[in-house]
Amino acid sequence: MIRRLTQFMPPARGLAPLVLLLAVWEMVQRGASPNFPRPSLWWTAIVNLASSGALRPAVEATLWTFVAGLALGCAAGFALGLLIGTSVAVRQWSSLLLEFLRALPPPVTIPIAVLIAGYSPSMKIAVIAITASWPVLLNTVAGVANIRSLLFDVARSLRLSRAESLWTIVIPATIPDFLLGVRVALSIAIITTLLVEMFTGLPGIGVLMILGQRAYDSAQVFGLLAIVGVLAFLLGLIFAIVEGVVLRRWPPRHGALR
Amino acid sequence: MNRETLRGIGGVLIFLAAWEAAVRTRLIDFDYLPAPSVIAAALVEMAEDGEVFEEIVHTLRAALAGWLIAIVIGVVAGAALGLSPRARKYCLASVEALRPLPGIAFVPVAILVFGFSLETELVVVVIPTVWPILVNTMGGFAAIPSRLHDVARSFRMSPAAATLTVFAPATAPAILVGLRLSMTLALVMAVAVEMIGNPAGLGYAVVREAAALRPDLMFAYVFIIGVLGIVLNAALIGAAKLVLPGEFKRPRAEWSRT
Repeated sequence: MIRRLTQFMPPARGLAPLVLLLAVWEMVQRGASPNFPRPSLWWTAIVNLASSGALRPAVEATLWTFVAGLALGCAAGFALGLLIGTSVAVRQWSSLLLEFLRALPPPVTIPIAVLIAGYSPSMKIAVIAITASWPVLLNTVAGVANIRSLLFDVARSLRLSRAESLWTIVIPATIPDFLLGVRVALSIAIITTLLVEMFTGLPGIGVLMILGQRAYDSAQVFGLLAIVGVLAFLLGLIFAIVEGVVLRRWPPRHGALR
Repeated sequence: MNRETLRGIGGVLIFLAAWEAAVRTRLIDFDYLPAPSVIAAALVEMAEDGEVFEEIVHTLRAALAGWLIAIVIGVVAGAALGLSPRARKYCLASVEALRPLPGIAFVPVAILVFGFSLETELVVVVIPTVWPILVNTMGGFAAIPSRLHDVARSFRMSPAAATLTVFAPATAPAILVGLRLSMTLALVMAVAVEMIGNPAGLGYAVVREAAALRPDLMFAYVFIIGVLGIVLNAALIGAAKLVLPGEFKRPRAEWSRT
């Protein structure tokens, strides 16, 4: 298990520059700097925040919205992507529309959703799901479009029904592209989760950061930034492990045959 | 025009017509969802007013300036890491630890240090934008075939001359992939930080019109942001085709493959 974990990470000695930076920061910064407080003060600020009982619910709220939004978005993106990808006509009719919608930065979804649906925890999840579904949808469409036509000939000569060929040929061949989309969706979902919290004030880590900034509590803001970094790193690691397992079962097929 | 393009245009027209009809007939009845014709009228109103052009220039300047700064940092650091296995050994883990940190989480920190200003915007644009350039440049330099290293050595080139005349052209396609990914990201981050950090530009305009309960103007601004993204992308592809004819292939999906 440990060996399996290390294959996803470069050697730990590579952390030297980061550790050095934090150590120098700690030594150079003596007093309580209003802008760049030393790392040990971040720790104190986070411990204070935790003992006040504000930290845990915020982390839980952020993780829950993130996971629920991402899962919903990936499922919707994959389903829609298969629908659009498997029909050449739908693909062509929707091509320009998708091209334009893809060019929209995900953050603008937030004010639109707030204006149309109002403030609520379900709006928060919906916004994350919508922004996360895009890269999944686009990659799934591309994945289906790139399946070798030979495979469809196989389906036809075996007289597979539409549902059977979807299940046995299209979905397994699209999984690597789907995962590529999920990888992108992951980072977009983290950004959207924090942004929607900062923007709407719905509970979460993003709100604690904004509150810390408004109170000029820079140690708290830096501490929360570190927590976000650790969480984002761990989420990426979990995804890499899942991706590794799934790709062993359904490897990407790059072939000359199309 | 070929059939595919025509169908694409047809798809957009059908979408707009369905939207218009659904809103007019109150099939979809949200308080703040305007019909496309109303949004078009708002676009005309904005163009006559002229303020929108200043906002476009502001966002464009922030995104492009941040992108250029990120290119300098990313290409230099990426080349250094790509050319030296030892540098990779002692730095890569730091890169991997910092890379998942979402750029948006730097907004409160940047506001504390720089206030609500263009500097804040640049910090938040530059930090996440560096990574795709750095990683792709590093990958490109690390993958240079040893033959080219031999060539540089047999011509007794200095490291600087070899980097500029032999290695840089060989890695240009890889760097270009990074440039393209990061340009999209720069626009996204500029809009996002304008929504919560620096009250200026298109991102702020979207939020302002939403708060003023002018959904027609809000959607018009969203439309402009989308067009801006497409224009920037097309400009970069055009420039790339001029510089590297034949070398440039379109990546499969936007933000993917960082």
